[in-house]
Amino acid sequence: MENIARLTHAYKTAHWRIQRQWVGLALLVAAAALMVAALYLDVTSQAAIAGREIQDLNLALTISEQNSADLQTQLAALTSSVIMRQRALALGFRPAEPLEMEYLIVPGYFVIEPPILSAPSRPQLSALTILPAYTQSLLDWLDEKIMSSARGWQ
Amino acid sequence: MKEQYARRMQVLFAAMGIAAALILAQVIRIQNSPEADVFRQSASNYAYELRTFYPDRGEIYDRTGHLLAGNKSVYEVGVNLSAVKDANSIALAVSGELGMDYGQVLNSLTNPSTGLSYVVLADYVEAQKANRLRQMKEALQQQGALGNLTGLEFKSHPQRSYPENELASNVLGFVNREGRGYFGVEEKYDLVLAGNPVQVLVPTDPNKAFEIPRALNGATLILSIHRDLQAEMETLLDESIQRYGAQGGSIVVMNPRNGEILAMASTPRMNLNEFWNYDKIYDQASDFNPPASSPYEPGSVLKVLTMAAALDSGMVSPGTTYLDTGVIYVGGVGIQNWDQSAWGTQDMIGCLQHSLNVCMAMLSSQMGAGTFYGYMDNFGFGHLTGVDVAYEAPGRLKLPGDEDWYPVDLGTNAFGQGVTVTPVQMLMAASAVANDGRMVIPHTLYAMVRDGREYQSPAQTAGAPISQQTADTLSEMLAISLESEASLALTPGYRIAGKTGTAQIPVDGYYDDTQTNASFVGWGPVDDPQFMIYVRLERPSASIWGSETAAPVFSLAAQKTVVLLNIPPDVIRQKMASQ
Repeated sequence: MENIARLTHAYKTAHWRIQRQWVGLALLVAAAALMVAALYLDVTSQAAIAGREIQDLNLALTISEQNSADLQTQLAALTSSVIMRQRALALGFRPAEPLEMEYLIVPGYFVIEPPILSAPSRPQLSALTILPAYTQSLLDWLDEKIMSSARGWQ
Repeated sequence: MKEQYARRMQVLFAAMGIAAALILAQVIRIQNSPEADVFRQSASNYAYELRTFYPDRGEIYDRTGHLLAGNKSVYEVGVNLSAVKDANSIALAVSGELGMDYGQVLNSLTNPSTGLSYVVLADYVEAQKANRLRQMKEALQQQGALGNLTGLEFKSHPQRSYPENELASNVLGFVNREGRGYFGVEEKYDLVLAGNPVQVLVPTDPNKAFEIPRALNGATLILSIHRDLQAEMETLLDESIQRYGAQGGSIVVMNPRNGEILAMASTPRMNLNEFWNYDKIYDQASDFNPPASSPYEPGSVLKVLTMAAALDSGMVSPGTTYLDTGVIYVGGVGIQNWDQSAWGTQDMIGCLQHSLNVCMAMLSSQMGAGTFYGYMDNFGFGHLTGVDVAYEAPGRLKLPGDEDWYPVDLGTNAFGQGVTVTPVQMLMAASAVANDGRMVIPHTLYAMVRDGREYQSPAQTAGAPISQQTADTLSEMLAISLESEASLALTPGYRIAGKTGTAQIPVDGYYDDTQTNASFVGWGPVDDPQFMIYVRLERPSASIWGSETAAPVFSLAAQKTVVLLNIPPDVIRQKMASQ
């Protein structure tokens, strides 16, 4: 019994065992630091990629708007007053005379007002509505926490 | 053995710890060294770039949603000299596609000015041509080095485009290559359409991409102009000028209830996509949009307003009679009727029906200068109407006290001589008669779209120079006078009120009997006016009389207007009203 206790004590106080514990602890700290660094690198790179995509999309949006304006102008030229008149005449139509018009009285019908050309207004996402959690880096977050804690102590 | 192993481990840890500490110390030293500041400064220089955002110029639509003025992409074709591999190929391709001189292009590439790294070969190149060059460049790059167009670059930018070419050119105006609007709506609303260029620091850091601003584009305008009606009026005007041998003319259609200008046709017109021809077409700025910019003596159409003043002041009623002796003396000068005849006893309807100068001079004389000119002032003569096109002219109404006013002017002004007005002014003044006494300000803007919201342009009145009773009475008198003389202005199916005008044109200080401005102002349907038309033909040679030239043109214009504006004949409308 005494031998067992002595062996146990020797095992617990063995020099190599204490060293291994220290090495393990150091490795654990290093692994944790690596994990945090990897996570930070991943988030930062993803944010950078997203930012680059936003820049590309902004450029694409500008190009699309230009193309849209081009096509709209081309369409307007193809349906211009002169062209439409020529097409109508080619198809055998002619301008109507006032007395050729027939008017039907439709009870409850109201004259349609000129169309509203603008799209209905909708809330737009602006930079101010994006939460800081989606924009700040880990260091920014740490900095903010430290600063807010410091302000709390004062 | 174990002790030796442990000692080695301790030495190794100590060495590694010292190395780590040294690395950390070096990192801190570098971070805080003077050189680090230089690098930090360099980095911050690239962190933001100053960029100017030019907003797209707003588009212009007619009231039915047809595009009248838009934007299209054109290209600047240039060469990055440091990237050029084959200048001959570039010169050959560009000269062939863009019609430029080969030698000149080659010279600009091989002998550029000192320090030049980029040469602009052509600007405002149509997209089709630029795309063909771009495709050629890509195809040659794929094939190999020979005939390489490397270095040829294309930069797109917007340019104003007018899909309808000449249509409503006088109303729209144009935009030059520097982006400035000239004439018409383009100049009047230049600041609104162009938007404001924004110069900002743009972050290059992708993490700050959301901070990139977007310049707010110029506002889009929706005009009250009805494209198809405008086209019809321009066609009708051109045909009428040819038919009656006139030198020019105008037709303006307005809604007398709210002042919306539905069509404003005039001659000459220009293809707005070729604005550089302006100097070849127009002699002076006022020729661009005569309905608003060219005042002239209107003649008898102004009698409508003299009669309105006489009725409103209570001086006469429709049944008031007078003896027309064929001449009246005002300020010691004899004034005669248009045919130098005496028309005997006439009431006020006969006065309008036969367009008697003697009657009008009598009315203005009896009213007195104070009352007569007070009414003319209230009708807006001599003032700008405020119509929203550039270069509106106020015309001239001489008043007692002016150096060039003579007592006879009180008589002659009453039938439209010695006073100058624009067609737009006449329409505004006459709108008081058509619109129950309330005068509306003519305008071309129906609505404005900005930042996704549409803002309506409200109707504005310019006062009520006459009472509703006067307006209704005069409208009825004018309708009866047209019907009584079987005027050529009458429109089948619709009751019309209006007045012709034949104004002699002053030449070298004297009125020339052979040169006239023929005009007609009218509106309908009389019981519910929905359109008002002013026709002016300048120096018609087929006939000098407005009743034989401008009046039938008015009738044709009214017939086209009721079809396009979907206004049912009086019988149908009355049937609808009774139900």
